[in-house]
Amino acid sequence: MNNIATQRIKREFKEVIKSEELAKCSIKVDLIGDSYTELKGEIAGPPDTPYEGGTFFLEIKVPETYPFNPPKVRFMTKIWHPNISSVTGAICLDILKDQWAAAMTLRTVLLSLQALMAAAEPDDPQDAVVAKQYKEYPEIFAKTASHWTNVYAGGPNKNSDFDTKIQRLIDMGIERDQARGALSTYNWDLERATEQLFS
Amino acid sequence: MSEYDDEDMEYSDQDDYEDYYNADRDVMSPPHNPDAEYFPVQCLTVDEVEKFLNELVEQLCTSIHVTPSMSKVLLYENKWAVQEVLWKYNEDPDKLFVASRMKTLQPVTVKTIRDKFVCPVCVGPVAEELGITSLACGHCYCDNCWRCHFENKIKQGVSTELSCMALNCELLVPEEIVLSTVNKPILRKKYQHFAFREYIKSHPLLRFCPGANCTAVIKSKESLAKKAICTQCETSFCFKCGNDYHAPTDCATIKKWITKCADDSETSNYIAANTKDCPKCNIFIEKNGGCNHMQCLSCKFDFCWMCMGDWKAHGTEYYDCSKYRENPQNGSESARAREALKKYLHYYERWENHSKSLQLEKQTLDKIKERINSKVMTSKGTWIDWQYLLDSATLLAKCRYTLQYTYPYAYYMDNGPKKELFEYQQAKLEAEIENLSWKIERAETTDRGDLENQMDIAEKRRATMLQDFFHI
Ligand SMILES: [Zn+2]
Ligand SMILES: [Zn+2]
Ligand SMILES: [Zn+2]
Ligand SMILES: [Zn+2]
Ligand SMILES: [Zn+2]
Ligand SMILES: [Zn+2]
Repeated sequence: MNNIATQRIKREFKEVIKSEELAKCSIKVDLIGDSYTELKGEIAGPPDTPYEGGTFFLEIKVPETYPFNPPKVRFMTKIWHPNISSVTGAICLDILKDQWAAAMTLRTVLLSLQALMAAAEPDDPQDAVVAKQYKEYPEIFAKTASHWTNVYAGGPNKNSDFDTKIQRLIDMGIERDQARGALSTYNWDLERATEQLFS
Repeated sequence: MSEYDDEDMEYSDQDDYEDYYNADRDVMSPPHNPDAEYFPVQCLTVDEVEKFLNELVEQLCTSIHVTPSMSKVLLYENKWAVQEVLWKYNEDPDKLFVASRMKTLQPVTVKTIRDKFVCPVCVGPVAEELGITSLACGHCYCDNCWRCHFENKIKQGVSTELSCMALNCELLVPEEIVLSTVNKPILRKKYQHFAFREYIKSHPLLRFCPGANCTAVIKSKESLAKKAICTQCETSFCFKCGNDYHAPTDCATIKKWITKCADDSETSNYIAANTKDCPKCNIFIEKNGGCNHMQCLSCKFDFCWMCMGDWKAHGTEYYDCSKYRENPQNGSESARAREALKKYLHYYERWENHSKSLQLEKQTLDKIKERINSKVMTSKGTWIDWQYLLDSATLLAKCRYTLQYTYPYAYYMDNGPKKELFEYQQAKLEAEIENLSWKIERAETTDRGDLENQMDIAEKRRATMLQDFFHI
């Protein structure tokens, strides 16, 4: 890893640790190993969103050419959001692509991701299924996202109706995450989800 | 007012439709301009283009006080319109520089205390021998970071769009700063090469020839959707959008259509078959010429390749085959989707079919050349005597080309009188083209006068179509 990249990451790591956001427990960064090429990010779900109360972990990989090229960031915690793949955690955000600027830092990236969680951009989707639900059935979307936050990110809102439906599919021999994925995709229509899973 | 103009006005009135159809004016009246498609262009070499662009750069430099490098940014950002730049400069130079991404309204105040400066990118103390540079925006970075930034972007193919490193700062980096910072010869060369290409692309009157392996640059006097021909490689293309020439369809529509065809290629694959069975005796027929008027060698049935219907029903009155009839009954979502696919396939099939016919007619042209050659060898006239046959084949290709490009146009048209008129003219053109094709394939037994008459009719139909529907 080149000198500038290492220097920058060391500095940015300190920046996050000293930041007021860390004091408020809203963002955090941990080093993985001591090479400064891989880090683990942490974002608190923003208030007044379905992600509130959840903690989301991120995989951050720092390229050799950092900061002239953006870091590679992915959600490790499963999340239901139009701009984040519900399967792989891949993120669609301009600053992680062509709008990246060398003067940006890990802190600004994490804060931008938090802002993205609070205000999705369904017209530039990463997950087409989620984006469609977000636009057409906003209430179902909010419930689904809140349910995912509860299950995967430690959020507070249990949804017993959804749990019952998932259990029905599990009883039919479907794996839990797969059952949740199918039901989320078909707006919790048990019949259509079953049809799709067994076709 | 000419007779033509009178009738021209009539067809805006829906009630007079039938009269219009029967008047047959489109064949009888001459088009306004006999060669409306003529488009003069110049074919330049790379050196000639460089000279041409440099002259514009100098022209601007001598009129206002900017460096050649700044002048390039100004021209690149303002589509190389020197006069317009000068005019804007005289109005309000600051406004021009801001709009051209060379200045910001509120530049950051630069702290010049060198000892205390920490470069925001490398976040370290700046070495004694290194400079600290900012663009007009005032965002300061050490020269080492600037160099890394430039090199990284050049490797990704960025040149004229190279900008400041600050977040949301769009200020462009002028060429002289890039070249004075980057010293690796390969990257310098790459940068200059990319920048030159971008300058050409940003000039509305210059176009790279799309021909394979052709380095020529085509220059015109106007940026119009007309047919440009490269004199180096003979490739022809639409000057405005660079696609194959597409009259009467406009640039935006042809782009939509090409994208659609690429997206839907799987569903329409089944059309590809070049063989069909005779609708009457079911014998297997291979299409070997461009003509869609087929004759089964076995039962002598004359039929249309497109719809497999009896040719006699097409030939004279209304060549119905080119017109798609929408099914008025609208049902469920899937029925509508099926109907939409059917509509698309109708137009696509005809588009594809004429494209194939065009390719087959290239072979016909070669055959005609051979035939003429053998006639000349056996002293049955000279090349001059048989030239009309070659001319007819060339004209046929031209007409069929236009016909092919009427289908995307029709596909995107709204239903109504304009579409009806369009499809009426399209049908007429198609009928005359098939007649011409049929006659050319049987040229030895066709009377020369008859053939030349048919050429005349077909070309007039084509000219009318373009004149009425291709407004550029
Ligand atoms: Zn620096
Ligand atoms: Zn700047
Ligand atoms: Zn060429
Ligand atoms: Zn065009
Ligand atoms: Zn037959
Ligand atoms: Zn037909």
